[in-house]
Amino acid sequence: MAGRERLTDASPGIRGVPDFLGRPGPTTIHRLNPLTKATLATVTAVAAVALGGLVGPILLVTAAVIVPALVARVLGRLLRLSLLLALPIAISAFVVNLFFFPGGEQVLLRIGPISATAEGLAFAVEILVRILAISGAVTLFYLTTRPSDLVVDLERRGISPRIAFVTNASVQTVPAMVERAVQITAAQRARGLDTEGSIWRRLRGIVPIVGPVILGSIAEVEERTMALEARGFTRPGRRTLIWAPADTGLEAVARWGLVLALVALIVSRVAGIWR
Amino acid sequence: MTLALHDVGYRYAGADEPALLGIDLELRAGTVVGLAGASESGKTTLCLVASGLAPRTIGGRIRGRITLDGEEVDAWPMHRLGQRIGIGFQNPATQLSQVAATVFEEVAFGPMNLAVEREAVVARTWSALDALRIADLAERDPRQLSGGQQQLVAMAGLLAMRPTYLVLDEPTAQLDPAGTRLVADAIVRLAGDGTGILVAEQKTDLLVTADEVLVLAGGRVALRGAPDEVLADRRLPELGVARPAAVRLRRAAAAAGGGGERLEAALHD
Amino acid sequence: MLLRWLAALAAFIVVILIGMVTIGDFGTGIDADNFFDTEGANSFALIGAIALVVAFLVYAAVEYAQTGGLASIASQFDTRTIVLIPIAVAINIILGATVANALKLPIYLDSIGTILVGVLAGPVAGALTGFLSNMLWTYVIPPPFQNGPAAAFSIVAVVIGVLAGLAGRAGWLRPRPNRSMAQLGVGAILTVAVIGGMAWLAYLGWTSPAFGGEVNFDVAGSDAIFTVLGWLVMILVAGTVLGLLAILFIRRDLAAAYVVVAGLGTGIIAALISAPISANVFSGVTGGGTDFLVAALRQAGADIGAATLGQGLISDPIDKITTFFVVYLILAAMARRTKARFPQGEHLLEGGPGDESAEEGEWRGASA
Repeated sequence: MAGRERLTDASPGIRGVPDFLGRPGPTTIHRLNPLTKATLATVTAVAAVALGGLVGPILLVTAAVIVPALVARVLGRLLRLSLLLALPIAISAFVVNLFFFPGGEQVLLRIGPISATAEGLAFAVEILVRILAISGAVTLFYLTTRPSDLVVDLERRGISPRIAFVTNASVQTVPAMVERAVQITAAQRARGLDTEGSIWRRLRGIVPIVGPVILGSIAEVEERTMALEARGFTRPGRRTLIWAPADTGLEAVARWGLVLALVALIVSRVAGIWR
Repeated sequence: MTLALHDVGYRYAGADEPALLGIDLELRAGTVVGLAGASESGKTTLCLVASGLAPRTIGGRIRGRITLDGEEVDAWPMHRLGQRIGIGFQNPATQLSQVAATVFEEVAFGPMNLAVEREAVVARTWSALDALRIADLAERDPRQLSGGQQQLVAMAGLLAMRPTYLVLDEPTAQLDPAGTRLVADAIVRLAGDGTGILVAEQKTDLLVTADEVLVLAGGRVALRGAPDEVLADRRLPELGVARPAAVRLRRAAAAAGGGGERLEAALHD
Repeated sequence: MLLRWLAALAAFIVVILIGMVTIGDFGTGIDADNFFDTEGANSFALIGAIALVVAFLVYAAVEYAQTGGLASIASQFDTRTIVLIPIAVAINIILGATVANALKLPIYLDSIGTILVGVLAGPVAGALTGFLSNMLWTYVIPPPFQNGPAAAFSIVAVVIGVLAGLAGRAGWLRPRPNRSMAQLGVGAILTVAVIGGMAWLAYLGWTSPAFGGEVNFDVAGSDAIFTVLGWLVMILVAGTVLGLLAILFIRRDLAAAYVVVAGLGTGIIAALISAPISANVFSGVTGGGTDFLVAALRQAGADIGAATLGQGLISDPIDKITTFFVVYLILAAMARRTKARFPQGEHLLEGGPGDESAEEGEWRGASA
């Protein structure tokens, strides 16, 4: 079931699979099979950790993140989003490693009781590059792939429809719950809830919001269960898919190639063969 | 083609008292049976029992017989029963599957679960959308629709399962007048096309055009008959049921002294 | 049946052996270039977790080969559970992101959903919830809720789900009200003993040569800030535990003691598994409030591995005790009828499994 096939017999009054389902993306990268993109992101992230040092991750990022981002015309957004994603941990990692590197001797800067060391700086930069590599790989996936496309692809390959359902529903529930929380916050604020101020006050302010959001969602479980079961959800086994993303032999080879390369890398590092 | 309940009773799990007792009901294809009653009178429970969700999905105990065209359906699993009897609820939002980005995929959800062939899934989806006149909404995101539209999408999702019977539990309860109108018209059309519909409503105005009306009280059938008789019955207020506007106007006109028929004619213009 | 469990056990042992030979180490130095050789990362718990996952896969494979299906696993995934899991995932992600980004407290609060599902539906369902939460959190959720490091800790979330499932099945979260003072007293003593024992072990581990031996609470010099931070956290721990004990006696509900023990156990195991991941991949920091703790510990002289583990052993137990407690509250707020329909629901009802037999005269239950 590659791509979207239309009914061959387009008699008047009979319509086929609507064309808004599975609309191909704008660039080659977007049109890659979602599993390929997921494999690329995961392999890049793991390899960034496995490579160690500076040169390896930088080359990796260029090849596996920057170049595809250019082809997909998302480089600007990628840089912005991945920096945003990496920022909290990057700051922490940089500060903690720069100032608190045990065994650092070459002091660069002293602030009160803590001091920044050159060894710490080197390590901090390395960790920073690694974090940016991971965040870039993940962001590239996020920008070029719809999660529901990946789930449909996996379902076509054989994962249980229930797992597919759970994944898709989880993705949709997060923004839905946030919206509900926003509404409840507005309602509580109208009743005088204090949401600014000290940590203690903010903590206390969270409870009247979190409570209704969580309990409200759980109260809906019974109704949703009934609605799903009324629509054949209890039927065991596979279900029909209307469409699925296309896949090519070339991409399958590329995926296996990436995975094998990663395994080889890890094995060679563990066995101490390389660097 | 009949869905029949014979002396049916139901008790929720962990409850001492039955929520339904001695219910006899016949729903024929192409007819509309209305269900009225105060809240907690058993309307929702009866809908759940008629559709099979009680006791299959929600547990509890049942007695009596439920037959589909004469065949007992006790042993039928929910996904088999769902292809003959569809059930819709009050809250349109909780009926959405949450995995569909478009109305089309939302409506196709049922047939997809039944593993019907792809062409059949697509054909059923389009015909369900057409039956409810919402084919133009096919590309929209179901979560962005109005309540009335969502309720229609939910009903289309049920219709795509090709049920002979539809059970609707207060479908217009959370809708504004425009949405209510949409759903009410759809119900009339569907019955005309051959679906048997059991609809529970607090808004008794909507039951005026039904073929038969049952009024429940305390889990039993208190009144039964044609809407003209039942909805004009003296005992309605003490059973906690509001009289439809038309009935109230008629009585008011009669009390004010004559002119009842002219008022009726004027109302129906 | 037996074959499945034996095969799983064999797989478990094999993976542990392989892991120990290649990775396991109690050392304390850091080696920036050779990440797998990084010592001080005490990776036994991580190896154990990986072994657990492999064993599970082997069990499933054998069951599939034997019966062509996965009944013992699938029974944990009825419709109700499937509906609950996305809600649980959302709770995990939203609360976790709020705490990490906005509150900067040394806790995570990203497992409430996982533990809720585990307790209600079973270990596998809980494991799936945890896995999904972490993976989606990194790959799919957009900013501002997105969390980069989360996916790397998926296996920790899996184990938390499993532990919650086992605790639920063992009936640990069943309300036990109106116990006599004597029973409550015994419960309190046992709880304090367990906590005290764990704290003692942690202290021993912390000051042992394996961790560099130098770490103690009296940090010489002018590192007053970090000493204060350390004491603050101690007070948080003590406060949480005392609060729970108070509830134990005020509400006379013995379950509070079980909650504390479950939370503590889960927290310690979670800390043991996540420390090597955190140390090796992210040098011990994750961008949340816990990083202050790590900094404090490293200033006190610990290396990456010890600092990460130390931080984990402080944050995780508090976090998990709080989480189990919140789950207990949620369960208390749910109607009996709602809980009963979940796969493990009957273990969570007061008075234990139910009063419903399948048939009672002419009243019959569902047969399909």
